[in-house]
Amino acid sequence: MDLIFEYRAQLLSGTLLTVQLALASLVISVIFGLLGAWAKLSANRIARRFANAYTTLVRGVPDLVLIMLVFYGGQVTLNNLGEALGLWGYIEISQFAAGAGTIGVIFGAYFTETFRGAIMAIPRGQIEAGISCGMPRGLIFRHIIWPQMVRFALPGFTNTWLVQLKTTALVSVIGLQDLVYNAFTAGRSTGQLFTFMAAAFVIYLTLTAISDIALRALDRRYSVGGVRA
Amino acid sequence: MTEAALKVVDLHKSFGAHEVIKGVSLEAQKGDVIAILGASGSGKSTFLRCINLLETPNSGDVYLAGEKMQMTRNRHGDVIPADIAQVERMRARAAMVFQGFNLWSHMTVMENVLEGPLYVRKIPKAQAREQAMALLAKVGLSDRADYYPAHLSGGQQQRVAIARALAMDPDVMLFDEPTSALDPELVGEVLAVMRDLAAEGRTMLVVTHEMAFARDVSTKTVFLHQGEVCEAGPPEQLFANPQTDQFRAFLARMN
Repeated sequence: MDLIFEYRAQLLSGTLLTVQLALASLVISVIFGLLGAWAKLSANRIARRFANAYTTLVRGVPDLVLIMLVFYGGQVTLNNLGEALGLWGYIEISQFAAGAGTIGVIFGAYFTETFRGAIMAIPRGQIEAGISCGMPRGLIFRHIIWPQMVRFALPGFTNTWLVQLKTTALVSVIGLQDLVYNAFTAGRSTGQLFTFMAAAFVIYLTLTAISDIALRALDRRYSVGGVRA
Repeated sequence: MTEAALKVVDLHKSFGAHEVIKGVSLEAQKGDVIAILGASGSGKSTFLRCINLLETPNSGDVYLAGEKMQMTRNRHGDVIPADIAQVERMRARAAMVFQGFNLWSHMTVMENVLEGPLYVRKIPKAQAREQAMALLAKVGLSDRADYYPAHLSGGQQQRVAIARALAMDPDVMLFDEPTSALDPELVGEVLAVMRDLAAEGRTMLVVTHEMAFARDVSTKTVFLHQGEVCEAGPPEQLFANPQTDQFRAFLARMN
């Protein structure tokens, strides 16, 4: 316990980075997920193909491979491209941006399916009722589709988000000092790896428990009118 | 002669190679109740859905109180609305009641009825609420304003759907088999509300299998067969003296 107290600053900063990374990548993946679901349900064939290619590609490759590919390959590619075109100079992708961006894009593919399924679960007749009242598309989305989509998406969303939160641990391979990285470093330098991994275990469990509570509140709010099974 | 409340001229609709509506014309004066009969597959629901453009007709014109729904063609040659704002405006004046009620399940009864007036017609809230309460009283559901649709019977849901349609203050009401999804003992309460509406002079198009309603309430009955108007006229004449074998056979099946 004393040992953990001694390293509290490292553990705290690692936890903070993990949370920041998880939230930043969540925002990105929700945007990608909404765009992907919209594209997959669109009447436009090119949009559908594009979205299918995205989910197939991203879901078919290990997260770790993609993260390293983007961090090591992305930087080189971007700078070679800049040099060839002469449009921009040397760009450095920060580890945080690479990590959050890649995890965000990866989980966007999972959210695409979650959101697509949720939109398809809304009875078509309810949308037709909106159309027949002369409601514009934006209003139909905000008042009829969105509230019900959230309700139908929440179970899958919760699942994916928990996996996403834990996947942030992979960024330690590109040198980001997240919770795992800092706990591991502290454990090795003190020779007490078990103690620090136990601390990480408890912290992750706390984070997932907090999100569970938040998501349950959201579920209550969006479940109005539903018949509980 | 005043402008017809609703006029449909030579409407055609195909799904792929299959032509479902083969040139149907129809005119409803203000206060008319037109019953549209036909076997399943005769195109009667599709016809109704074409009027407020839930289905886009392949050709033909729809006029509401003299205003023509403006259509155009896109670069693939498909018919599309020329002006989506105009279509939305006209849809709001031709309110639809569906077979499956289609109430918004995440909104209370009151919210369902308020949605159109508040966000489409943009009526002030207090006035919209007052009007919604009056409409719920009219359909006999004042005490259910705060219920969610899932907690109502089918007949009650359909009455809410009628109140929701009325809240648009429409020129024409389109009923798409409004009692077909109901348990037999709940049909009566919905038909009673529709009879009241007819009696107060609402212009209504009713696709239905309720022969008694067509016979007693409609001012004009239209029998569709394979996408065409087979017989049309005052119900007393039509039911007493069917002119075609198709209508005679249909009536025999229904009784």
